[in-house]
Amino acid sequence: MKKTQTDLLQGTLDLLVLKTLQSGPTHGWDIAQRIQQISQDVLRVGQGSLYPALHRLEAQGWIASEWGASENNRKAKYYKLTAAGRKQLSAETETWKRFTGAVELILKTS
Amino acid sequence: MLNKLRLRLRALFFKPKMEDELQAELQFHLEKEIEENIARGMTPEEARFAALRSFGGVERVKEESRDVRGVRLLEEVWQDMRYGARMLFKNPGFTLVAVLTLSMGIGANVAIFSVVNAVLIQPLPFAEPDRLVWAWGNIRSGGDSIGVSPVDYLDYRAQNMTFEQFAATFSIPTYLNLTGAGEPERLEARAVTGNFFQALGVNAALGRMFLPENEKLGSERVVVLSQELWRGRFGGDPSIVGKTLTLNGNNYEVIGVAPPSFKFPQGAELWVPMSFDADPGLRQRKAHFLRPIGRLKPGVTLAQAQADMDAIARRLEAQYPESNAGWNLRMVPLRDPLVGNIRPTLQMLFGAVGFVLLIACVNVANLSLARAATRQKEIAVRMALGAGRLRIARQMLTENMLLALTGGALGVILAAWGVDLIVAFIGDNIPPIAQVGVDRVALTFTLGVSLLTGLLFGLAPALMATWPQLSETLKDGGKGAGQSGLRNRTRSLLVVFETAIAVTLLIGAGLLVRSYIRLQHVNPGFDAANVLTTRMNLTYAKYDTPEKAAAFWGQLHDRLAALPGVEAVGMITELPLSGQSNSALFTVEGRPPVLPGQEFDASFRRVNKDYLRSMRIPLLRGRGFTEQEARQNAEVVLISESLASDVFPNEEPLGKRLRIPQYEPTSSFEIVGVVGDIRHHGLDYTPYAAMYLPALSAGWMNLAIRAAGDPMSLAAAVRRETRAIDPDQPIGAIRTMEQVLSESVSEPRYRTGLLGLFALVALILAGVGIYGVIAYTTTLRSREIGVRLALGAQSEDVLKLIIGQGVRLALAGLLLGLGGALSLTRVMKTLLFGISATDPLTFAVIALLLVVVALVACWLPARRATKVDPMIVLRSE
Repeated sequence: MKKTQTDLLQGTLDLLVLKTLQSGPTHGWDIAQRIQQISQDVLRVGQGSLYPALHRLEAQGWIASEWGASENNRKAKYYKLTAAGRKQLSAETETWKRFTGAVELILKTS
Repeated sequence: MLNKLRLRLRALFFKPKMEDELQAELQFHLEKEIEENIARGMTPEEARFAALRSFGGVERVKEESRDVRGVRLLEEVWQDMRYGARMLFKNPGFTLVAVLTLSMGIGANVAIFSVVNAVLIQPLPFAEPDRLVWAWGNIRSGGDSIGVSPVDYLDYRAQNMTFEQFAATFSIPTYLNLTGAGEPERLEARAVTGNFFQALGVNAALGRMFLPENEKLGSERVVVLSQELWRGRFGGDPSIVGKTLTLNGNNYEVIGVAPPSFKFPQGAELWVPMSFDADPGLRQRKAHFLRPIGRLKPGVTLAQAQADMDAIARRLEAQYPESNAGWNLRMVPLRDPLVGNIRPTLQMLFGAVGFVLLIACVNVANLSLARAATRQKEIAVRMALGAGRLRIARQMLTENMLLALTGGALGVILAAWGVDLIVAFIGDNIPPIAQVGVDRVALTFTLGVSLLTGLLFGLAPALMATWPQLSETLKDGGKGAGQSGLRNRTRSLLVVFETAIAVTLLIGAGLLVRSYIRLQHVNPGFDAANVLTTRMNLTYAKYDTPEKAAAFWGQLHDRLAALPGVEAVGMITELPLSGQSNSALFTVEGRPPVLPGQEFDASFRRVNKDYLRSMRIPLLRGRGFTEQEARQNAEVVLISESLASDVFPNEEPLGKRLRIPQYEPTSSFEIVGVVGDIRHHGLDYTPYAAMYLPALSAGWMNLAIRAAGDPMSLAAAVRRETRAIDPDQPIGAIRTMEQVLSESVSEPRYRTGLLGLFALVALILAGVGIYGVIAYTTTLRSREIGVRLALGAQSEDVLKLIIGQGVRLALAGLLLGLGGALSLTRVMKTLLFGISATDPLTFAVIALLLVVVALVACWLPARRATKVDPMIVLRSE
């Protein structure tokens, strides 16, 4: 391992998934890949937590799914952001920023 | 929100599809991962292995994804139900017995509930029925509920301030002969006030109903037809309104047709307006033959209306003491008189079926407990594997609910059939306002009862199933399956309990049966065998003088008497036990005058010479009428034995003269004979004083024809001879006097029959319950019995042992049941005749019956126990 990998904080996975889906519908494997690539391999999403999270988000109505064909024409389940999901994403982003900002403040002053 | 619900429903009902999709999704992920690994230069083998490793447990992922769907509880219930259904199918014997028992209990309840609901609960089929009130005429000095005189009625109507409408009908039907259009027919009409239909809030299906102006002279010759008459006799003629009918020789214009559901008062085929202007009979204060019905003004209570009417009654009393002293009105909700006597009967039956259901529950609970015992090992294993107590109890309960619901579904089918049976049984005693059937309310009731039932019989076994010490059962290897004392005691208690209920029901039924038998043995005072009866009303317009009427009846008598097979042709104005009645006030000539209201009172009949002979009413003293007297309205009278002893306790009545100013103001009548009492109003009524006047001049008569053989064989001849005299003369229903007698006791009969049926079901169920417990414990004790036999016990000893156990249970139940019956049958007092509610014979017979049933129920398993081969039993352990 070249870089230190970080386990995801509880609750942050939802935010990451929603954020990833903001750029368009895609399937589970792609979501995991993108999170890993964009975070430059810092964040790794265990598939064991990705799929329960996807199903949970779907049950909450923030994302929706449909079956489509993948790049090499295989059947894959595509997820996309719903209107409610978009709202949730901005709310969670806001919360996250406030949270990290607060943590940073504390770290700086000490 | 909607989306979530959709997902959950999908998760619940399309589970296989969801599973496939999950599988496909994860498969896709895995394959992508493998491709990626190959692209990085791994061999396919390595790639696959690495992908699987990084993925973690596939099943765990699946499980977590499933949990997200949030239908775990529902899934478990569904699982329980499927498992339960499998278990029930595996045990067809148990399932069949349990479902049949439950369906009998539930079916009986639904059937009786349907009747109770229609008669006692459903609102009356009138607009705003809560505001409708019935008024009884009432003599304050302990008088009965009777009618109101027409003039009093008009005063109440004019002076009250609490009623929107105050209407009335005649207390008895008016019979009208319809002629001129096909067969002559005798129709049952009711005279009603002009505001009658307004008060009830009933609108015409065709044309219009009466209005107050129809009471006025000149507009009173109008009729409203019932839906049935219109459809039947007039073939639903859409242009009937405006047509003219000839009724009793007069022309009436049809102004409207009533809606289909409207049958009030009971039996009415058409309605005519009461014409206070035209009818001199409606100008009296002393004859109480109107039945008022009022619609309260909005917001007025029954008590306020009563106070209002009481004030009017007091004014009338002061104004007309001679006629109104002591009279007032008693206001009751309209439902009361409509429902009448059937209320206590229905309440009793509803209670009885409730008991039957309770017994059914106990039986199924017992079966279920026994089965739970044999499933001990299965349950212990499941608990050892980690199933929670609650989870197992829930599973057992689900299974029992499944049983209850199946029983309920079958019960509805039984009930649909049972309702028809009950309606056929109760017949005319169901008020015509009620539409009886298994409706939505009844179905809801069934569902409720089924669930309650399931809970009732399912809870105890469910809890007890999880009771045993787990390890012991497992160690025991499931043999003799952990018969805890607690469970045994519960089962015994349940049997005692159900036996007690059955005993209570049986005693109730026994009392009714005894009452009914007593009623059957009451001597009505006449001989009903071989007598044919029918009623005829003469058309007044045609027979408008007493002479013409007398000529018709005389001719009819002579023609019928000449028929072969006819022994005597009796005629009477009011036939016994037929619901017809009439009474008169009278005084004895030569005695000091009495104050108004202190005259003697007696049933008043007009008869021909042969009436006594044809009904075989004994002549006790003096003589009957001569033919001459009978045909010429001679001034002679026959009195009944009770009249003789009431009015002439120490005198010779023969030769005395009676005055009956109400009917014969100018004459007095010499008593020429004393005849036997008859029970005119009902077999359970004490005979009432009666007088018989000779007269063939009446406008109506009942024929009572004594035949040498089967009276019904004369029916055609009676019709033929009547036609021969007057082809326009209709004849009422032809019945034998035995039918009349039987119909008069139809109420006690159905009441006895239904309660008897339910008590029988209870007895059978209790017997099955005792049998079940004894048979089961006997099986469990087979080893002990084997040992006893091996040690030299005789089979009688074993019989005694087993039977003793069952009889002890039965006796405990019997004692409890006798106690229950002592306190419960008191409420049946009004339904009994000639015996007390604690009739010792009934109690004794039922006790004996129960002991016999218990003995049989124990003897079967006991006998099987004596056949036990000790060697086999001992070896099997």
